[in-house]
Amino acid sequence: MTPFATGDRVRTRSADPAGHTRLPRYARGATGTVVQVAGSHPLADDRARGLVVDPQPVYHVRFAARDLFGAGDHTVTVELWHDHLEGPA
Amino acid sequence: MSEDHGSSLISARVRHVEALLEARGLLADGEIDTRIDEFAAGGTPANGARVVARAWVDAGFRERLLADANAALPEVGLSMAGGLQEQRLKVVANDVDEHHVLVCTLCSCYPIALLGPSPSWYKSEAYRSRVVRDPRSVLAEFGVTLPADTRISVWDASAESRYMVLPRRPEGTAALEEAALAALVTRKGLIGTALL
Amino acid sequence: MSRINDVGGMAGFPPIVEEPDEPRFHADWEAHVFALNGALIKRGVYDLDEFRDAQERLPVAEYLGSSYYERWFAAITTLLAEKGIATPAELEP
Repeated sequence: MTPFATGDRVRTRSADPAGHTRLPRYARGATGTVVQVAGSHPLADDRARGLVVDPQPVYHVRFAARDLFGAGDHTVTVELWHDHLEGPA
Repeated sequence: MSEDHGSSLISARVRHVEALLEARGLLADGEIDTRIDEFAAGGTPANGARVVARAWVDAGFRERLLADANAALPEVGLSMAGGLQEQRLKVVANDVDEHHVLVCTLCSCYPIALLGPSPSWYKSEAYRSRVVRDPRSVLAEFGVTLPADTRISVWDASAESRYMVLPRRPEGTAALEEAALAALVTRKGLIGTALL
Repeated sequence: MSRINDVGGMAGFPPIVEEPDEPRFHADWEAHVFALNGALIKRGVYDLDEFRDAQERLPVAEYLGSSYYERWFAAITTLLAEKGIATPAELEP
């Protein structure tokens, strides 16, 4: 995996997973900007399934409200694991 | 504490599970009471207020706090390592152009070490659902009206970091010392649902 | 499948209600549930993500009809049964 860096534009996964996820529904399939790398942790989605997994990068990803909800002049910054991101936008 | 019928029912169920776990060796005698006492003696918003007051009077500390809060906290005798594992803390500073507000839409993540237990409204579906979509309306319900050109930045604590807002220092406080400044800081100010 | 905890941006929730001078816990049993969860996680019976997952799996009506610590207790008993610590029947007085 090539980690993302501050300033990268990224797209989140659009799939609706079967179990626990820390990618909120409102931020699925959305394009945002990495504003900071927030360390490295095992993916919570996997840990909730009882899996023991390696840490992966976690990012603060900022979205324009307009891109999430079609309206709003604010931003929402969500903290996402690398696996929540589909790739560069 | 007064307890209605529903409360006494669940109270009996909790006691039963505790006794069962003690009998099976999964809880030590007195472990629950010790944990409750430790929690009561733990974080309160006074901790967060102390951090804020120091940042208001010490520009170097403010800079270090915003760059790496975990590294700066020991300067005021605090840390994020008191819980199950050390948590990363990110402090976000309000200024004339930008106002920050915190939420955990998926559950109830909150910086307990610095703010104590979270208020019920913070954990409510009403707050969690609405503040990400329409923060201006939610802030208005808290009595906070920001100028139209103040940007609002919502932080959703969806992973491992915890957040705290560094509020703006109120006008007319230039003469106050650090302890008096700390007394001006409220819990809602540290979440971003109040101005000071 | 989207779960009931994932409410960010969802319509239909009311204005925010603040409780003045709210206590840490509204009843003794809430403090016990809080401490019980911490003890079980520390002992490795389950982890925090499994605990969140167990709350999210509550039936929707039960999730929305329960208080914060009622959800916690439901998740704790669900996990104790699933991990084979006790049967559902043993978990009830």
